[in-house]
Amino acid sequence: MTSRVMRDFDLLLPESVTEVVTLLARHKDKSAILAGGTDLLVALKFDYAIDNVISLALVPGLGTLRFDPQDGLVIGAKVTVAEILKSAEVKANYPALWQAAQVFATPQLRNTATVLGNIMRASPAGDCSLAILALGGTVLLQSTAGQREVDLDNFWLSYAVTARQDDELAIAVKIPAPPSGQKSAFRRMTRTTEDLSKLGAAVSLHMAGNVCQQARVAMGCVGPTLVRLPAIEKILAGAKVTTELLQDIVGSVAAEINPIDDQRSSADYRLKVAGVLVRRVIEQALDNEGNVQ
Amino acid sequence: MTEYAVIGKKVERVDARIKVMGGALYAADIQMAGMLYGKIVRCYDYAHARVTGLDLSEAAKCPGVVTVLGPEDVTTKAYNASVLDMMVSTDMRTVLGDIDDQNIFTDHVKHYGDAIAAIIAISEEAAERAAEKVKATYEELPVYLTAEASKQPDAIQFRPEKPGNLAFQLPEMAFPNNSYAWGDVDKSFADADIIVEDTFYVPKQKQCQMEPGNYIALYDDQQRLNCWTSTQMPKLVQKKLANLFELPMTRVKINQTVIGGGFGARLGMVLEPETCALAMAVPGRPVKILSTREEDWVTSPSRHPGKYWMRMGFKKDGTPVACDAKFENYKGAYYVDASGTAFTTGAWLGGMYKFDSLRYHGESYYTNQSICGAFRGYGNPQTNFVMEQLVDRGCVELGVDPIEWRKKWHKTIGDDGWCMGVPYNSCALDECLDRAAAAIGWAEKREKYKHQSGNIRRGIGVAVMNHTSGAMPMLLEHTVCDVILHQDATATLNLACSDMGQGSHTTLRQVAAETLGFNYEDIYIATGNSDAAGFDIGAHASRTLYVGGGAVKQACEDARRQLFDRAALELEEEVGNLYMEDKIIHVKGTSNKSISVQTLTDQGINNFMNPETGELIGQPGQIKGYASFFPPHNAPPFGATIAEVEVDMETGEVRVLQLVNAHDVGKAIHPGVVEGQLDGGAQQGLGMVLTEETYYDDKGICLNNSFTDYKMLGPSDMPKMTNILVEDADPTGPFGAKSVGEAGIVPPVGATANAIFNAIGIQILEAPITPEKVLKAIII
Repeated sequence: MTSRVMRDFDLLLPESVTEVVTLLARHKDKSAILAGGTDLLVALKFDYAIDNVISLALVPGLGTLRFDPQDGLVIGAKVTVAEILKSAEVKANYPALWQAAQVFATPQLRNTATVLGNIMRASPAGDCSLAILALGGTVLLQSTAGQREVDLDNFWLSYAVTARQDDELAIAVKIPAPPSGQKSAFRRMTRTTEDLSKLGAAVSLHMAGNVCQQARVAMGCVGPTLVRLPAIEKILAGAKVTTELLQDIVGSVAAEINPIDDQRSSADYRLKVAGVLVRRVIEQALDNEGNVQ
Repeated sequence: MTEYAVIGKKVERVDARIKVMGGALYAADIQMAGMLYGKIVRCYDYAHARVTGLDLSEAAKCPGVVTVLGPEDVTTKAYNASVLDMMVSTDMRTVLGDIDDQNIFTDHVKHYGDAIAAIIAISEEAAERAAEKVKATYEELPVYLTAEASKQPDAIQFRPEKPGNLAFQLPEMAFPNNSYAWGDVDKSFADADIIVEDTFYVPKQKQCQMEPGNYIALYDDQQRLNCWTSTQMPKLVQKKLANLFELPMTRVKINQTVIGGGFGARLGMVLEPETCALAMAVPGRPVKILSTREEDWVTSPSRHPGKYWMRMGFKKDGTPVACDAKFENYKGAYYVDASGTAFTTGAWLGGMYKFDSLRYHGESYYTNQSICGAFRGYGNPQTNFVMEQLVDRGCVELGVDPIEWRKKWHKTIGDDGWCMGVPYNSCALDECLDRAAAAIGWAEKREKYKHQSGNIRRGIGVAVMNHTSGAMPMLLEHTVCDVILHQDATATLNLACSDMGQGSHTTLRQVAAETLGFNYEDIYIATGNSDAAGFDIGAHASRTLYVGGGAVKQACEDARRQLFDRAALELEEEVGNLYMEDKIIHVKGTSNKSISVQTLTDQGINNFMNPETGELIGQPGQIKGYASFFPPHNAPPFGATIAEVEVDMETGEVRVLQLVNAHDVGKAIHPGVVEGQLDGGAQQGLGMVLTEETYYDDKGICLNNSFTDYKMLGPSDMPKMTNILVEDADPTGPFGAKSVGEAGIVPPVGATANAIFNAIGIQILEAPITPEKVLKAIII
């Protein structure tokens, strides 16, 4: 049950990444990071209690949103979902992420919520997270001991649990530069337009003509974490994307996922439509060149 | 058509500016010196349990706590939060068998969130922290979530006087065979060529009003109990609280705060009893209670959910010969409104079509769900979902067009209305249907959608409805209004009618201005003070404009008559020879004999005596018009909606493309207000049929008492919408007006269900019609 009053905590306002990681080293699991706060503040009105909230508000350098044709995209910890939407480079190079940002929550929340916060939430319904998983993103973690990178395939350990150590700050998410011919898309199903996903799918396809050389296919709300669908990726790899191939995919998705019943949908429904959603997201990715035969 | 100066004009709403500018004071905004905060301790572990132990000692020791209150520390008098018993005569109250089965705090938890104790502290935070220290132990009891479960012979009885957990059925004394009926249904079915029948489920929809339950109460130094509340029924709540705390009405004052939406959720008491009980424990200190959304969800009433069985019989030529129906609703933990909706659900059914015979049973069963009560439509959306789908199934079997069938067989002027024995006195439903059909291109689309294949299928469906303007003669509709004319020829209305955002204070002001012959800006409406205002039954049954407007009109006519009497005296003319224009009273046929209203109103107060002679001038005194008004009828509004939908055959998703709502409103006093009601009604109607339902796990724990988990349609989900206002003046309504507050929610329910039926050829029997249900139905 929620409360109208948040529990007591100390609000810490470090002014550099070094200060943040020093605080994290001291407080470890007795601390939480506040960036956009759209998940944290809600949790604090439920039963979540934490002694120290470390705000990134005064920390410089975490607001970077930088694209480089060779190095790819860097999204700093304080970059909001709304900023993603404003980026023509994201729209052109990472359509899946841009499309996820477009339907993410509500305009008010998009103005506040951060992309990295969505990843750190480790929810199987995270929209930007799902797109970045399909795009092959990596989380950059920093502690007093230094930096390390963990790719998203190994980042979400279970529901709401990540590979971040409790003395580490996630300072950015990196997405590789798209090879030429990369097509990506994001698609989700919700109960109403402004809602959490009840089922989501994102793909990144490396196309040569109408042949898919390599694919990353990811789904949300089909298990405790966001997942990739290796069997579907295998069907796509090296294959001509035809209507028949897509029908194969429709029939193969259910075996790859493990959805549950919850407030937003049922396991049964998710199993029935997941294949359709994957087919549609592939069609969407290829749509502008009409590669589906 | 009569030309009006103010009626029918889109004047500025009285509440628009203050709400948009953030100046409206809701109960939560009000601060008072010495304010204390109350926190009600609720049971969220069980939906059905006995409290075997309650230890408040640790809570009492928490910093900032003023006092802790268990069940014995407040009045133990039972009450019924509903005000229905105050709306009927004493005799009828006995016949209905309404009971008082609620207590401030309980030792028998009957639903998730039932109240067991409370804390009063110096801050909201201190109260919340102390509430966490309350230790309660429970004996878990079996949970009954449906009527089917709670009516079992071995089920625990909620109330000894309601055996079988049957809280209410239509009483034999007023309804022979416990049914609302005419004709011989069994015999009529024998004559039927076609019979359609099914059992439907209608969902536990929540009003989702923006303002959650927030209250302040103060037992003051004059030993008066003051309550600040956004109730939609101030005068009945005043009486209810007077009864509960055994005080004369002069010692109970309701200060009605700005209402952040009602839709029935504030029809009767909600947390007023608890807040006042807390205030009585700390005399002289105001106590504020603020609810979270989640708490409001499970403590304020919802729509009545339940199983709704119906059977209809037709002759081959389409004649509707019989209708038999039974609505078994899942009443929830307490009696509140068990009787009202169980009856009206059938009344709307009886009021719609010319069946040779009809029989309706309405039964309310106790369950371990949160309470049900009033919600916009009051049984009508439930009936619309069921009745209109069965009619369309009948039309398919008969091979007739659903609009043509409805035009032929709906009840109209002279037929018995929803209340048997009270014939309809106006009905423009045919025009509603014709204009809606033309606006959407019914015939072409109906033809076009007959043969479809592919993954996206479209459908178009219609539904109609009847409703009411106030509930006369079933309930004792009554509003008292007085209007006082100031020296400067402006006027203040004093009455207890509520504006919940529906625009009623605006339209009442228009009625006053038009009747007095004043400008809209000359009128002020004083409301919200139960000491000052006379009786008003409260905002329910779409009655505020019809009944409240009737009272305003009568009071203003009284004031105007007095004005004309004084003018006649001054001008030495017969009243019949006078007319008013621009607040000047003229003598007909002359150009120079006139007197201004301001001269008259000023004279009575400032210039009624010659200072030299002491002689009285004119008629001294202030003019005050008065009405204690009972409406002669219930001016039934009718309406039709046509919905066009698109169904995704691969996912079961339904998109509503278009709604056309055509409503017989009598006269639109303020067309913008009327359209607003139709838009808002459609949003809630579509929500009921497509997405909205409060539900529980097996243990009765509510799973979606929040906007995260319960989804209403948002602005971007709404279809293209056209509202058609059919104006056919009702002979009894003020300036011909009928109600519109509830009408808008009703036909979008049936029309959308029928459009889905038209698209996929299958009827979905359970609302809301989610993609999960559609897909299950269409995938073999």
